[in-house]
Amino acid sequence: MKPAMKLDFSALRRLLITAGFALCLGSLAWAQSKPVVLKGGRLLTITHGVIENGVLVMQEGKIAAVGAAGSVSIPKDARVIEAKGMTIYPGLIDSETNLGLIEISAESSTDDRVEPSDEIMPHMHVYDAFHAESELIPVARFNGVTNAVVAPATDDTLPGQDVFIQLDGKSAKDMMLVRDMAMPLNFTGQQRRSDPKYPSTRMGMAAQIRQAFLDAQHYAQDWDDYEKKKAAASPDDKKGPLKAPKRDLKLEALIPYLQGKKTIVLAAEEASDLQAAVALAREFNLKFVLNHISHTQGVLDYVASLKVPVIVGPIYEAPKPAERYDAVYRLPGELSKRGIKIAFASYSAHDVRNLPYQAGYATAFGLPYDEALRAITLNPAEIWGVADQLGSLDAGKTANVVVATGDPLDVKTDVKQLFIAGREVPLTNRQTRLRDQYSAP
Amino acid sequence: MSRLWSAIVLAGLASLSAIAQQTPPPAHNEVVIKNAVLMTVTHGDIQNGSVYIRDGKIVAVGKDVQAPTTAMVIDAGGKFVTPGLIDSHSHIALGDDVNEATSPITPQMMMIDAFDYQDKAVYRALAGGVTTSLLLHGSANMIGGQAIVIKHKYGAGRDAMLFPGAPRSIKFASGENPKRVYGGRGQTPSTRMGNFAIQREALVQAQDYMQEWDNYEAKVKLGNKDAERPKRDLKLEALADVLRGKLLVQIHCYRADEFLSEMAMAKEFGYKVRAFHHALEAYKVPDQLAAQGVAIATFADWWGYKNEAWDAIPWNAVLSMRKGVRVAIKSDSEDFTRRLNQEAAKTMRYGGATQDEALKMITINPAWIIGVEDRVGSLDVGKDADVVIWDGDPLSTYGVPNKVLIDGDVYFDRSLPGFGMPHYREGE
Repeated sequence: MKPAMKLDFSALRRLLITAGFALCLGSLAWAQSKPVVLKGGRLLTITHGVIENGVLVMQEGKIAAVGAAGSVSIPKDARVIEAKGMTIYPGLIDSETNLGLIEISAESSTDDRVEPSDEIMPHMHVYDAFHAESELIPVARFNGVTNAVVAPATDDTLPGQDVFIQLDGKSAKDMMLVRDMAMPLNFTGQQRRSDPKYPSTRMGMAAQIRQAFLDAQHYAQDWDDYEKKKAAASPDDKKGPLKAPKRDLKLEALIPYLQGKKTIVLAAEEASDLQAAVALAREFNLKFVLNHISHTQGVLDYVASLKVPVIVGPIYEAPKPAERYDAVYRLPGELSKRGIKIAFASYSAHDVRNLPYQAGYATAFGLPYDEALRAITLNPAEIWGVADQLGSLDAGKTANVVVATGDPLDVKTDVKQLFIAGREVPLTNRQTRLRDQYSAP
Repeated sequence: MSRLWSAIVLAGLASLSAIAQQTPPPAHNEVVIKNAVLMTVTHGDIQNGSVYIRDGKIVAVGKDVQAPTTAMVIDAGGKFVTPGLIDSHSHIALGDDVNEATSPITPQMMMIDAFDYQDKAVYRALAGGVTTSLLLHGSANMIGGQAIVIKHKYGAGRDAMLFPGAPRSIKFASGENPKRVYGGRGQTPSTRMGNFAIQREALVQAQDYMQEWDNYEAKVKLGNKDAERPKRDLKLEALADVLRGKLLVQIHCYRADEFLSEMAMAKEFGYKVRAFHHALEAYKVPDQLAAQGVAIATFADWWGYKNEAWDAIPWNAVLSMRKGVRVAIKSDSEDFTRRLNQEAAKTMRYGGATQDEALKMITINPAWIIGVEDRVGSLDVGKDADVVIWDGDPLSTYGVPNKVLIDGDVYFDRSLPGFGMPHYREGE
């Protein structure tokens, strides 16, 4: 878009909405070539239990059929894969990563995670920086993660807008399924600047966020007024064309959130920060899910009363000195017990592959196993609005399917095959290449 | 002192000793853990086994253990039992005193002087099954200082937490960290060349210092009363002890070429490298490491956090082990030290380590790196009774300690409320 280009607000809004919610699942050249059938495996469907000796048919990038052996017809031209002894489950979903924004953490030239020059940066779009060819993506796939939220780093209160990706595709364009899917609002205290730079307190953070949303409301009103006047004006008006308000990308970016059309990912760790952030979100009627809440053990009934999902963790966050060693490990179980929908996130780029272990570890501290598995499959799909396509082994959904030697949550389990949109993705990466190079005789 | 006073004092002492004799020994002097799957590390698994502990030592291990009826019985209920885990690279309990980053050569820094024994990280590692840790300096300096070995007897007090008789270790570092710290200030080292030059220079000074003392002592021995006694220099004394082989040399080192350079330097000055820490490129030169008997203390799957970690692969541990390198999985982290068992289990997935091989990487192998392998690291008669009873399989995602014993005493018990530490009350 050229900066000089004039755009009226209704068109602008249409553009934002269509761009934001356009789902483009693979292109023809990258698509599944012929039907694939996984036969005889143990299917963890997520939505309708476990099917022993199951059959799963993938066709044209979708799951075409799922069922017990004998109940599913196998297409004639299909590639049939014997999966006896294998465990088969939907591709895992990581609810917060920095994939494609960083390569080597200590090398700033490879780091595009956050723009720290200002705290209010909603016009930063992860889709502008997402590096599809990152060496980290094939490593992340290695344990069956097929989809992820990519968020900016958390140094700003409003660091920019997330992208929901698929971990395979011809190009960045194909991999980014939902652009500007959600926006983090970080209220952990980490976003404070060093005195004398504003904001150096949580009060400053809140005041600055509040002002930004007020400005955005004002800006939206200016555009509405302009549209109304324009609609009312007769074409032969002597005053000439109406002057449109000046575009402000920062404020423009906040409008879909003020309108409740998109989700704010509200991050807090302490109970006090959580309640301040929720109050702020309510002040502007923002639609939100919670993030982290690692140290809110004292107010879990309050958390439940909010009736919103929680991206929980990382559960490896250290407890406070006065807390028992497992205070944070137990959090997913405690939330789940209260009927809260949870999802896990690696909050990482290099360690995305370890996502399922976090879910597994939480089961040693009270989280039911089925809920742990849902928290990296169907729950995130529902939270991010893609459950019609992802998160379970159901006919009609995208064929993101993992074939592994056993329990998806155990560290010893080896992923043997991975299908993304029905296409078998090689489980090779920079690390397997180095392994093979140096272990060759 | 008058006779009267003497009589009173003697009577007092006598009555005190009488009380001491009447008090029965604490129950934990004799403990038997029974009905367990013992993962001994050195001699396989024993189903339905027992461990008999007396005075803090393992007295018997096996299926048919005869323990006196007076022993406190812990019924493991069929759970897995392993030796206490050992972390051969940790920086907990040191606060922000890990690096004396004011000079690249600081071997006179003694970790004991900064040991923050009340740090709750010690407790949290204990709750993860760690009973012994090597607390090392950071890697800002080429030679950081002298480490300490602790037992995770949280609440027992500073001196009781020090591993009695553990050998002294010294931390060296190479690669990016020293050159970044000093190069960033416009000082030497700012390159790997500078790193090694600084290290070599310090070792030459230590040689000279040793020579001075040797000369002096030779003169004294010959009866020369006028021999001038050299001035003691703590820094050079520590390095002289490196040259004399009195310190275990633990080197923070990532890249294959640097392992070779460090080993060449060790050969040049006649000391031995005990272990390379991090050692993410060990898989590139495993034969050379094995030939020199140098162990590695590495991560299971960390990578990409800096340039020298860019070639890290999760198969490093097993590929190196298969070539004869002694491998430990260590934490280098307040977080991962709480789940060393899960980290070790990753080697079963990446490279197919057996359960025993994986367990060795967090028990007997790190014990060797620290130099306490004859004391801890396996369920063997005569060793310290550092034992973990697990809920779930320790070599899986799900393994979590149920009880942790150190020197035969229960220091952590998951079933207890609060911190789960029988001997510890907050604020006492």
